[in-house]
Amino acid sequence: MRARVGIGAVGVLVGAYGAYLLLGLGWDNLLAAVYWLAGGVILHDFVLSVALLGVALLVVAVVPARVRGPVVAGLVVLGSVTLLAVPVLGSFGAKADNPTLLDRNYWLGWVVLALLVVLATAVGVVRRLRTPASGPPDPEGTEREPEA
Amino acid sequence: MRPRPPSERDFTSFLRSPAVASRVGLALGICFGLAFLTGLYSHWQQNPDAWFPPPTRPVWGYRLTQGLHVASGTAAIPLLLVKLWTVYPKLFAALPDLRKPRAALLNALERGSIAVLVASGIFMLATGIANSAQWYPWSFTFRLTHYALAWVAIGALVVHIMVKLPLIRGALGADIDSTENDRPGTAHRASGMTRRGLVGTAYAAAAVAVLSTAGATVPLLRKVSVFGVRSGDGPGGIPINRSARAARVTALATAGDYTLVVANGDREVEVDLDRLTSMRRHTYDLPIACVEGWSAQGTWAGPRIRDLMALVDAPEGADVVVRSLQPSGPYTTTLLPGNFAAADNTLLATHLSGERLSIDHGFPCRVIAPNRPGVLQTKWVARLEVRT
Repeated sequence: MRARVGIGAVGVLVGAYGAYLLLGLGWDNLLAAVYWLAGGVILHDFVLSVALLGVALLVVAVVPARVRGPVVAGLVVLGSVTLLAVPVLGSFGAKADNPTLLDRNYWLGWVVLALLVVLATAVGVVRRLRTPASGPPDPEGTEREPEA
Repeated sequence: MRPRPPSERDFTSFLRSPAVASRVGLALGICFGLAFLTGLYSHWQQNPDAWFPPPTRPVWGYRLTQGLHVASGTAAIPLLLVKLWTVYPKLFAALPDLRKPRAALLNALERGSIAVLVASGIFMLATGIANSAQWYPWSFTFRLTHYALAWVAIGALVVHIMVKLPLIRGALGADIDSTENDRPGTAHRASGMTRRGLVGTAYAAAAVAVLSTAGATVPLLRKVSVFGVRSGDGPGGIPINRSARAARVTALATAGDYTLVVANGDREVEVDLDRLTSMRRHTYDLPIACVEGWSAQGTWAGPRIRDLMALVDAPEGADVVVRSLQPSGPYTTTLLPGNFAAADNTLLATHLSGERLSIDHGFPCRVIAPNRPGVLQTKWVARLEVRT
């Protein structure tokens, strides 16, 4: 317990050092960073997470439990990788004088990736359907879950 | 029924469990740790007044560490999304009883530390991935703000791990489907996706994230990395970070009267283009490894910086200040530490892949040294001088 508190205190100091560095960059810089710090949390907690609840409701309503695993896996992989590809998909940083930067057809790449994910998901679904259901049966078929 | 705000117990999924959070969190913590350490290394590399300079070997050192930096940050994005999903109900946990001030204070501190961790964690990953694509939709200074918040994020992560340590150990020690550490109200079995399946999916998404981007630095992945910021093409087989036009240097670099000045105190020697290209030329295979995470190996040729500095009898191992023709910009003047200036394979390159350097690669000459960030491989060199 004492080691935990001690290491935790070191963590506080490390974080405080970062805050000190951040404050040293000036007021305007701090304010601009705070927009992004707060914006990221707000976008995640109140936009993305709420949207995911909607997606989960839809998946539970549409996809039978038996094949839900591979479908959800496909959605998680494609969704998260699409999110991190936003800067290249939008090519926001492209520069007219530098053709070596962002020099791929990223939307074509996305389509290829999406097809591969759909293919992998389909293989998973088919395998689920071919293997007999395992585990104890769920008598009502509904362990009621408001979300996935 | 009256509408009411959501509470923690409204989230019943079997998957939103410490069993999943701790496993995905472990991988996420490793990614954050790796990104932090390689980031510190990069910061040290870019700090000209470090207590001691970085080593010149291995030549691919910075290529590896900066590639790992961007790859670990990229892998962390899917892991962080899954991790936050599993713990999302905690956002709606009941507030503590204010009549018990000690418990209320501890709770406030814990929530505060998590708010700092989530905010700085998302900030680090979002700004990092945008920077790798040279997208700067903000007005703060990227490098220093990213660096400062790295300390905030890693400090908050250490606090978070220490606060949660008993729960983490319990969850990692128990079977993944064990419900003993679950929040009250959590379902007792999976309905569709299993816990093992979700953890595996998070790892798979992290792997896909890395494979789809790392081709910008790993040649073998070039065809696979559909989201790589560079395909690897460019003059002489090397991409360009900043063009001559963007640096507003084209006229100066192509002027007929270009001369390189080598200086040691009052002593100056002017080296014109003919003399520069007729000096003994050495050839080395060296990577250009950019802070944004892309890299490429080139065959560079030109006189050794050491031989140029010998023209003014510079002392062996002296630090060299490199000045570029660029009229402005943060890397117009850079410092080449003495150990780099003295190295056999630190060149003032005039050729790439057997051809004269192109204007965007730094014509008439550029610094190319082993184990260095690309921003310090100064292009369009005007002057080399012994640091006094």
